[in-house]
Amino acid sequence: MSNPNEATLLKKYASEVFAGLVAPLEGVEISPLTADDPLAKEDALVRMQRELQRALEKPVSERRWVMVIDLRKCVGCSACTIACVAENKLPPGVVYRPVMNEEIGTYPNVSMKFLPRPCMQCDVPPCVPVCPVTATYKNEEGIVVVDYNQCIGCRACMAACPYGARTFDFGYTYTESTPVAEGMIVGRVSAEGYERAAAFEYSEEWPRTNLRASPVGNVRKCHFCLHRLNAGMLPACVTTCIGRATYFGDANDPDSLVTELINKPNVIRLKEELGTEPRVYYVV
Amino acid sequence: MIKKISYAVGALALLFGLWGVYIRLFEGEQSTNYGSYIGWGLWVAMYLFLAGLAAGAYMLATLDYLFDMPQFKGTGKAMLWAALVTLPAGLASIGMDLGHMERIWKVYLEPNFNSFLTLMVWGYTLFFILIAVSLYLAFTRPEKSAMKVVMWIGLVTAILVAGGVGFLLGGNANRLFWHVGLFPVQFPIFALASGAALMLVIVGWFGPKEDHGKRADQLWTLAVLTIILSVVKIYFMVSDYTQSLYGGVPDNVIAVQSILFGQHAFSFWVVQIGLGTLIPLIVLSQPKLAKNDFVAGLMGLFLLVGYAVARILIVVPGQVAPMLPGLAEAFSGPKLTFDYIPSLMEWSVTAAVIGFSILAILIGLDRLVHFNEVKK
Repeated sequence: MSNPNEATLLKKYASEVFAGLVAPLEGVEISPLTADDPLAKEDALVRMQRELQRALEKPVSERRWVMVIDLRKCVGCSACTIACVAENKLPPGVVYRPVMNEEIGTYPNVSMKFLPRPCMQCDVPPCVPVCPVTATYKNEEGIVVVDYNQCIGCRACMAACPYGARTFDFGYTYTESTPVAEGMIVGRVSAEGYERAAAFEYSEEWPRTNLRASPVGNVRKCHFCLHRLNAGMLPACVTTCIGRATYFGDANDPDSLVTELINKPNVIRLKEELGTEPRVYYVV
Repeated sequence: MIKKISYAVGALALLFGLWGVYIRLFEGEQSTNYGSYIGWGLWVAMYLFLAGLAAGAYMLATLDYLFDMPQFKGTGKAMLWAALVTLPAGLASIGMDLGHMERIWKVYLEPNFNSFLTLMVWGYTLFFILIAVSLYLAFTRPEKSAMKVVMWIGLVTAILVAGGVGFLLGGNANRLFWHVGLFPVQFPIFALASGAALMLVIVGWFGPKEDHGKRADQLWTLAVLTIILSVVKIYFMVSDYTQSLYGGVPDNVIAVQSILFGQHAFSFWVVQIGLGTLIPLIVLSQPKLAKNDFVAGLMGLFLLVGYAVARILIVVPGQVAPMLPGLAEAFSGPKLTFDYIPSLMEWSVTAAVIGFSILAILIGLDRLVHFNEVKK
């Protein structure tokens, strides 16, 4: 409460909300929002969703998808990681977007820094040329994809990626060796059905019924939720971010939020010295 | 006696190895200890070792069939046979490492020639054909010019594929420990050194027992060659490690420290340096000992073990430094770790590969190559 403006704002809205809870619609006057009121601003998600629709109307090759992550806003909740796991039905040991925690300073002067790390979707991706069978490549929209039915599982791309953004699907399941109680819906009985159900990466169905079939035995990676983009939805990590710290959009659109953000001087890209030209930007 | 023991060791290794091969083929890769952060482990290292051994064996066969060196007359077929065995053994080792080995045909029919891995697969296929043709010519018309032409092409190919393996690692600019400009130069030398060690074993333990004087000459020449190559190899290694430590780039320092003082210290100091380098160097520098069949063969074996461990200590430490700080702790799950010690199943598969190689080489020396006859 050290900030007087914050205190005033809270006092004002808290009293109105409280009054509304106690006696809804009776004698409560809601003050209209003014233009400079923070609550009057359009939510970033709404804006990005609108811009996404605009981008999808353009020819595929004219879109330039980028992700912007505001490290000042990230609280390290890992909601994006979990959303990604759920969206892509990732098995144990496969992760597309971990959040790295870094402790800065020594006790008692310590703070934490969080770094979400999706695939960088590099414009000069070191993982692509090393693939012996062109199973991984940049698609027309500039997203580095993996053709699961082409991949031979040699892991050369994993060795080549400077960001550790690729993991290998060894065929693990969450329900393996979990208990089963007869007559009760616990453990494997209830969860296995969900686990075996198809994931929809690359807009195809990938059921996990046969643990010898792809994507088991393949290298897997973040693809900016390509299947969601095709359906007009933002990537799962973007919509799930509780702090609105992850932004996504078309950098070829001069009016988009991501263009606005990456054109400022306080953005960096990871390991830029390697010349990989990442499409993920960090606001610092 | 040594031959019988070698047959028994080969058979036992193969028997133990069949268990691992069964697990790998029918249950997949979960029993391995390599994972998503250390993606290349023992099997890749053994591929480097065995494919290098094949290249080295071929190089040494040229001493007989291409350069007509008198003291190596009669050894060419045995070395070509060893190359013919160890190359597919190495390829089997890397084949086991593939998540979808049934799709290997795609590297031939749907190749990406920008990938150095593709070039290696094609290069090794060509090399295998050249070894087979060389061996065929060695049996049918060893004195003809065709043999010389094929051996020349084979020698150049052997150097290129051995150097190519060095490039496969060294070309990866994102793994600083591997990104050494001299790797493609070092690897053919490593290959030649391992070929010489294999020849010590073959000549010392399984060579023809008559004509003792000539065999002693061969062993002494091989001992001198081995000493020179080992010293060169040590020089390369010391310069790599000191440069890495002195330069102070974290990825390099982490890698070298893991070898010298970390989880690979025992393998490095005891097996690679002690057993695989110092003991053979000391013993082989004594002419009396170096000319002794049993001792020379044993030193060859020690050297081979040392070279195999050296390959592991190139492949694995190159991957121990996290690509980004905190990556190891960011998400937990199976195989998301930067620690690696090969699992029992991995050792088992390697035992199968080695056991197969030992048996195939011995059977070849007994039944196909007729060491005694070709020596004349």
